[in-house]
Amino acid sequence: MSQAAQRSRYVLKRLLQAIPVVVAIVVVNFFLLQLAEGDAVDVLAGEAGSATPEYMAQLRQKFGLDQPLIVQLGVYMKNMLTFDLGYSFRHDMPVAQLVLDRLMPTLLLMVSTITLAVGFGIVLGLIAASNLNNWKDNVISVFALVSYATPLFWVGLMMIVVFSLKLRWFPTSGMENVAMFYEGWDRIKDIAHHLVMPTLTLSLFYLALYTRLMRASMLEQASMDYVTTARAKGLTERRIVFVHILRNALLPVVTMAGVQVGSLIGGSVIVESVFAWPGLGMLAFEALFSRDLNLLLGIFLLSALLVVAINLVVDLLYSFLDPRIEVG
Amino acid sequence: MVRCTLKSLTSESLVKKLCTAALAIAAVAVSSQAISQNAGGTLVMIAQPEPPSLAPYLSTSGPIGLVAPKIYNGLLDYDLDLNPVPELAESWEVSDDGLTVTFNLQEGVTWHDGEPFSSADVQFTIMEVLKKFHPRGPNSFREVSSIDTPDALTAIFNLERPAPYMMRALSAYESPIVPKHLLEGKDVREAELSGNPVGTGPFKFVEWKKGQYIRLDKNENYWKEGLPLLDRIVARIIPDASTRTAAMESGEVHYGAFGAIPNIDVIRLRELDDIGVTTDGYAMINPMALIEFDTTQPPFDSKAMRQAISMSVDRQFLIDNIWFGYGKPATSAMTSNYEPLGLYTPTANYPASPDVAAANALLDEAGIKPDADGVRATAVIDLIPYGEDWRRLGEYMKQAMAEIGVKLELRYEDVPTWLKRVYADYDFSLNVNYFYQLPDPVIGVQRHYGTDQIRQGTPFVNSTRYSNPKVDELLAAGAVEADADKRGEIYAELQNILAEDLPVVNLFEMEFLTVYNEKLKDHTPSAMGAYGSFDRAWLDN
Repeated sequence: MSQAAQRSRYVLKRLLQAIPVVVAIVVVNFFLLQLAEGDAVDVLAGEAGSATPEYMAQLRQKFGLDQPLIVQLGVYMKNMLTFDLGYSFRHDMPVAQLVLDRLMPTLLLMVSTITLAVGFGIVLGLIAASNLNNWKDNVISVFALVSYATPLFWVGLMMIVVFSLKLRWFPTSGMENVAMFYEGWDRIKDIAHHLVMPTLTLSLFYLALYTRLMRASMLEQASMDYVTTARAKGLTERRIVFVHILRNALLPVVTMAGVQVGSLIGGSVIVESVFAWPGLGMLAFEALFSRDLNLLLGIFLLSALLVVAINLVVDLLYSFLDPRIEVG
Repeated sequence: MVRCTLKSLTSESLVKKLCTAALAIAAVAVSSQAISQNAGGTLVMIAQPEPPSLAPYLSTSGPIGLVAPKIYNGLLDYDLDLNPVPELAESWEVSDDGLTVTFNLQEGVTWHDGEPFSSADVQFTIMEVLKKFHPRGPNSFREVSSIDTPDALTAIFNLERPAPYMMRALSAYESPIVPKHLLEGKDVREAELSGNPVGTGPFKFVEWKKGQYIRLDKNENYWKEGLPLLDRIVARIIPDASTRTAAMESGEVHYGAFGAIPNIDVIRLRELDDIGVTTDGYAMINPMALIEFDTTQPPFDSKAMRQAISMSVDRQFLIDNIWFGYGKPATSAMTSNYEPLGLYTPTANYPASPDVAAANALLDEAGIKPDADGVRATAVIDLIPYGEDWRRLGEYMKQAMAEIGVKLELRYEDVPTWLKRVYADYDFSLNVNYFYQLPDPVIGVQRHYGTDQIRQGTPFVNSTRYSNPKVDELLAAGAVEADADKRGEIYAELQNILAEDLPVVNLFEMEFLTVYNEKLKDHTPSAMGAYGSFDRAWLDN
């Protein structure tokens, strides 16, 4: 069998395996969310200021909250089969539309953060490992430690104080300038301008992680037998580091990145909140407090799909990085 | 000179007619004067939290009130002294018996979609929408039996009994006039209008990017000549309080009301040259911080217990130390802002400074004795989950009430859990909360004390389950009394009874803060404040 055919069979198999995983995630989440006291109707009525018991009963009926749990779950699963994620109680619009609206900003923040964090993490880890225990290594290690230990919200607020309030380089928050409503190329520049501080804040934490991981991984690989062999063959240090060690040392970093993409979707709540970035994390956070179950389940489902997809991509990446690993 | 107050409008008819005419002239003068200000620019304001919808006819949720009155008009607006001023109604007249109210509507008003506005819209809005679906509408318009529309510009309200409070519930926030042609024959709660509002107001709805902003653009065909002055209003959603403060400081947003900027940051921002702070614009809202008791169970089924708590709370301390000086100690079941209406009476059991000795004596006398550890009673105090200030208040209560031997545990839950506990399950003993007392006790206070307001499962009504036939009688009488002086006497008696029984102990009249950039002018020309139309607001460049 050709390698390409083998790969596509593998992808297909993995996708089929993902179906029970996703279903299980939905079911477990559904029951977990039921544990919270109060429901969306309580919140809506509370927000509205006052409401009659009849109206609240009517709302529960409309949302299907008066049905037994198992029926509610059945209805949800049935709708899911037709790619209908239901209706958000609080936002009064289809969940799919709400989630898709937030997907772009989330991906924008996620991709730029991962790129920056992994990219610089690899470079810094490489430099640190190559200059073991001299000042470069120390500076990088201390930097990694400090940025790993600093709370994200504090970094975000300090960024705002320094770069928005004092230096006036960047806007404090939001995704675009709402006083101007730029269009076309100007809008892209405007969004990029707004993206800088959230990305820097969020990637600082992950950057530290990848730096340390890369450094450790490089050191581990450097003590392997094949490095000694390569050196005995008379290869230049440069070639040993970049062609032999680096490639092997990347494997754990890629694994880590794959795992973290999943957590980045929800894990950026703090950064989204501080910079008023309209991402999925914030949406999920608010949905939880308004007991908007359909919306929450929709977000969970999307995150689950994304994690499954990214894990698949990571596994495929392995086989490119290290041809000894075979998919199958 | 005839003084045009709300009181005069509901009393003798000659004064009333003079007032109506004078107010109409005043309004014309105001709108022609406004033209000299600079026009243009985008006002960015904070809407926090994100509104659940843009349907002010279905929900009185605060953030809806910030945005919707820019899109919809009411029949009336209210000046800073709470006098009604013309809005969609250019003049009005209350019959001598108080049973007929005639509104003469503005000419040449159109909806944002180009359809003409007429008295049929008013009739439909009140009878078919507000009276049926608005949270407070059934109360505000309960005496309205029918509305006649003899012509397109006249709406005649026929009342069962006089309803003096109704004249204060006609603002764009409280009773927005909505388009009949977009709601008739539809399920009002389901109609598309809730996410895509079409009004007669100064600004048109353009788009709502969830989680980011709501954009409103100038209504070029607004019926008030030369208004609005702004080209655009954008309501931004910024979840984090520190970021809201930073955005205000950097000039990215111009306006934040209802505590959008926390008091702790306001005391810093108010020192800056380009930032202003005001407590104006909340006189129609009248928020009151308070404690609700479960009056059916020990320990707070005891009147002495509730009185002792009211006597030993240091209200000024709370205001000075937790709310940074913004607020006014409560002195009665009703806000002192009702004073211009003649409805406010200071009462007993609301001492200016705490009297712990008297409170202890009262409890001893009532036979509620302390045990060996000095504890008379233990209870869990629930705190409204609307921010850190309320936690601080809980901490103060724990400490202060220990002095009268009441041992309190704090409980701070999330909003749905808390609402369910207090209003659906009645599973609490004392609950710190705040209520809007609104422009009239019939609308804002009655729901807290009436026996008919014990409505299990409905938030922000009588959770104490206090029931007193005398109180019910007074509430009913006060609602229909057309004579202002007699009405004042009824409510004075009511306040004295409530001060004695104290099912609810009021803590302090809250002062919400509006923080604004000094470039923004004329943002609070009416008592509606942030819930106003902003048609005369302008930006100075």
